Amino acid sequence: MIIIDTLLIGLSSGAIYALMALALVLVWRSTRVVNFAQAGQAILSTYLGYEVMNRTHSYWISIPFAIVGGAAIAAFIDAVILRSLAKRSHKGSVSEIAPVIATLGLLGLIRSLTGMIWGNAYVQYISPLSGKGYMIGKHTIPFSPQNLIIVIGALLVMGIFATIFKFTNLGLALRAASFQPEISRLAGIRVDRIRTIGWAFAGAAGAVAGALVTPTTYLSPNSLDLLLVSGFVAAVIGGLDSLIGAVLGGLLLGVGFAFILQYIGASVTFSAAFIILIVVLFVRPRGILGSKVGRRDA
Amino acid sequence: MRKSKALSALTFLAIGLFLLGLSNFVDELRVYQGAQIAVYVIAISSIILLTGYSGQISLGHGALMAIGGYAAVLSYTYWHLPVLLAFTVGALAAALGGFILGMAAARLSGPYLAGTTLALAVGLPSLANQFHILGGEGGLSFDIGEAPKWIANKTGGDFTQYKWFFWVSTVCALVTIWFIKNLLQSRFGRTWRAVRGNPSAAALSGINIGRSKVLAFTVSSALAGLAGALLAMLLGLVAPMAFTLTLSFTLVTGAVLAGVTNLAGSIVGAVVLVVIPEITDVVATHLGGSEKITANLPGLITSVLLILTVIFAPNGPKLHIRKKVHN
Amino acid sequence: MLVHRSTKRGAFAVAVAAVAALAVSALPAQAFSPRSEAGVTATTIKLGITVPLTGAAAPGYNKVPYGMKAYFDYVNDNGGVNGRKIQLVIKDDAYSPILAKSVTNDLILKDKVFALVGTLGTANNEATSKFVNDKGVPRLFVNTGFSGFANTKKYPTTYALFPSYYMEAKAIGGYLADKFAGKKVALIYQDDDFGIDALAGFAQVGTTFVAKIPYASGSQADPTVVGKWISTIVSSGADTAVVFGVSTATAAALGGAYKAGLAGKVQWILGSVGADPTTIKTLVPAALPLLNGAIATSFLPAAADTNDEYVKQFQEINTKYNKGATFDSNVLVGMNAGMLTVQALRAAGANPTRAKLMAALNTSGSKFASAGFAPLGWSKTSHVGYNGYWFGRLAADGSQTPVDGAGKYVLYTTDSSKGAVVKSAITRPAMPAKGLPTN
Repeated sequence: MIIIDTLLIGLSSGAIYALMALALVLVWRSTRVVNFAQAGQAILSTYLGYEVMNRTHSYWISIPFAIVGGAAIAAFIDAVILRSLAKRSHKGSVSEIAPVIATLGLLGLIRSLTGMIWGNAYVQYISPLSGKGYMIGKHTIPFSPQNLIIVIGALLVMGIFATIFKFTNLGLALRAASFQPEISRLAGIRVDRIRTIGWAFAGAAGAVAGALVTPTTYLSPNSLDLLLVSGFVAAVIGGLDSLIGAVLGGLLLGVGFAFILQYIGASVTFSAAFIILIVVLFVRPRGILGSKVGRRDA
Repeated sequence: MRKSKALSALTFLAIGLFLLGLSNFVDELRVYQGAQIAVYVIAISSIILLTGYSGQISLGHGALMAIGGYAAVLSYTYWHLPVLLAFTVGALAAALGGFILGMAAARLSGPYLAGTTLALAVGLPSLANQFHILGGEGGLSFDIGEAPKWIANKTGGDFTQYKWFFWVSTVCALVTIWFIKNLLQSRFGRTWRAVRGNPSAAALSGINIGRSKVLAFTVSSALAGLAGALLAMLLGLVAPMAFTLTLSFTLVTGAVLAGVTNLAGSIVGAVVLVVIPEITDVVATHLGGSEKITANLPGLITSVLLILTVIFAPNGPKLHIRKKVHN
Repeated sequence: MLVHRSTKRGAFAVAVAAVAALAVSALPAQAFSPRSEAGVTATTIKLGITVPLTGAAAPGYNKVPYGMKAYFDYVNDNGGVNGRKIQLVIKDDAYSPILAKSVTNDLILKDKVFALVGTLGTANNEATSKFVNDKGVPRLFVNTGFSGFANTKKYPTTYALFPSYYMEAKAIGGYLADKFAGKKVALIYQDDDFGIDALAGFAQVGTTFVAKIPYASGSQADPTVVGKWISTIVSSGADTAVVFGVSTATAAALGGAYKAGLAGKVQWILGSVGADPTTIKTLVPAALPLLNGAIATSFLPAAADTNDEYVKQFQEINTKYNKGATFDSNVLVGMNAGMLTVQALRAAGANPTRAKLMAALNTSGSKFASAGFAPLGWSKTSHVGYNGYWFGRLAADGSQTPVDGAGKYVLYTTDSSKGAVVKSAITRPAMPAKGLPTN
């Protein structure tokens, strides 16, 4: 019974990690940037959802606003900041580290902005769904309707992305622009615009993660910090290039996390991600599904 | 070659004496900030060595600083080692940690390495809570005492502890820069540059790329460890909260502000890191506004400056001059 | 040879940059220091506080300094302290010892404050201790439950206000032995000094638990972690659970327990650090059903208790001087420390010095009026502040009524070493008229 409970706990957090990982992978694929601002973007879009909820008194109405907001914020960041960074980018170590610093700066900027607008305080972003776990016989499982929505929402987002990438021209362009930007440009694909769309998708995925997970915890300018680390670790486990890898990485991390906590102890929480990451990378230095194309620095 | 070394040693000695002399004429607040700058110079140089010269990224140097800090404090407290020896133990402990991490790192490319070191930065400091000997959240206190009498008496006047901190960290920083400069000119430095510039060619010419990367990681970690030990000295303690992810990020920021391939820039980076909070605090106080605004304004200004710097001067202040020399 | 040239350039650049750096540093912060006591002029007294205003630790704690400032503003509008107005310089340390150290340097060397009040955090206060001691700056009412700060030898200028975590654990242990004998008790605690001190306190009074559940500070934001706490409580068969954690952890535990269907099955006992109902309700609405009926450990009255004369007065001040802030236990803590500070400053006389301030606390501090129900222990030989707790049952509206019924407060007092836990009635000094000290 405990094994099943632990699995369920891991699954619903894993779904959130997977969404964050998905967002990071989408950005990585489109612009070769590890986006540390992702946690900030997710926070800002969740606050947008919170504002809409305060006005409409509906959690469900607020979610699409958060998603659209998240996409718009991401598109804005790419179009205004990342593009000018790319234009001036130099060869060598700086070109790898400069975008990291830019997104760290953005993370700080967004945190300060949310602090200015909504204050460094905890606020409620509540879902109407019960936080009470389902009953199976006499046993209450640690899996509530909100957890179900998290898993369904994550699956939905992944399904939509899979469909777009596999079956649409946009998806083809996205893949082409990410792996062969020069050839794509010659083939008439407007690579810049396509990349921004990749960012927008990522922003939307992050917004879904924020809007779904926040009702189970709380909202503050820093409340998704942990998620950034878990999301990144999940993305690295999955191989950074692969959308399916991100999902698998997220679920693996979530479930691995839950089992480590259950059987080793809660004190190793922060080291657990490191342990899982090291184990995975030791076996597969490029993550579970990472491709060689992702290797740029060599 | 030897002559130039002697000259450059003299230059360093002169700078050192000048700085130490200067400490008699500035107030205590600035002396402390000077010490802080010296510690950041060492930490930033360690990143520059790793990223700028060996082409590896670390978001976990805060964790390596923690190793150095804890090792120094433990050896000082339990083995009663002299301070400088305790600092050495700190550097060696971090080097060992860095060697192990470097073995893993050599197998990983850019973002994977960034991810691993990031997870380390989050995971390692909190481990201090697991072991009673490490003092938990409150940490271990570390008081290196006052300046020895033979130094304090010679300079006359009031030799405060902050001034002593300044002396120790300035000397350490100068020695560090001196050491890195010579290392970069040695066989190792040339190897690192060759690997960074063109790994395939370097491998063909018989360089062991993996070994070269591990060595760079180890040396960089040793310096980070020294910086961590010095930071512990400044704070008078080691505690997990001193070595957060924010510290790791701050160091990378400092390295970018310095220009990651510019060793001398580490001083610029360090000064900026120390001065910016003070300036933003003054600006925020003058602009005023509600609590929400004043509390978050310094962070906002710093972030905006950071973004602008990365966009408009991603190679730091001096690279364009130095680039010509290198080519 | 090209490398050679770059070296010289490098050394030159180092020299230039170093001089530039120190030139910036050499700007004197203040040329002359006046002969009179730092921070005191004919019309003002300057005090300083460091707290996290930004970062993950900010929410809640960032309300403390503004509560304190509101109280000082109220006193200033009513004549100040011996004609001097109190200025409070608030600095953000983002809960980092590195920042705490720099901003404390600023407070002492640049702002030249007379004293520090309510500086927050164990490691942060520890990092500044040596310097604060060397400069002889009084550090009043540190906002932490680390028992060490009451050590007058190591921290001669530091005054604790809150009872230590160790005392709290002993008091809870005494209460459990008193009212919950034979029950199966589980404990959730933070696995750092905060919780380790508590474990030692519980061990001292011989409290046994069917399950001890540690968590890493900050990990309570992850639902996986909370899930594990609750599954452990369930499998241990506990019918009583003590949460010795911060408010986010307390809220997460109650919310998680509700999720697992534990409503009405487990009696919750909440440690004072995380038992603020206002915060808990905001954090996790799902915690509300379990909050109702939980027992909270406290040394202050509940922030929602408008029958309490102190709380009533503080709420009025809050409305007028702390615009927009919801009155909660953080504001109460800030105002209460402010009131004690004003009394200490008054007792230091018409020409206050740092030495007189500390002497005043040592001789008359234990008689100061404050909202706390436990007595204050300051003397020449001890810098322990409050030394006991009362236990109240929380209601959904955030009010807290004594468990013993009939509005009778029972206090469990103890110390930070081997002393016994003693039950006593409450004898709190009456509030000075309008909350304005006249000592």
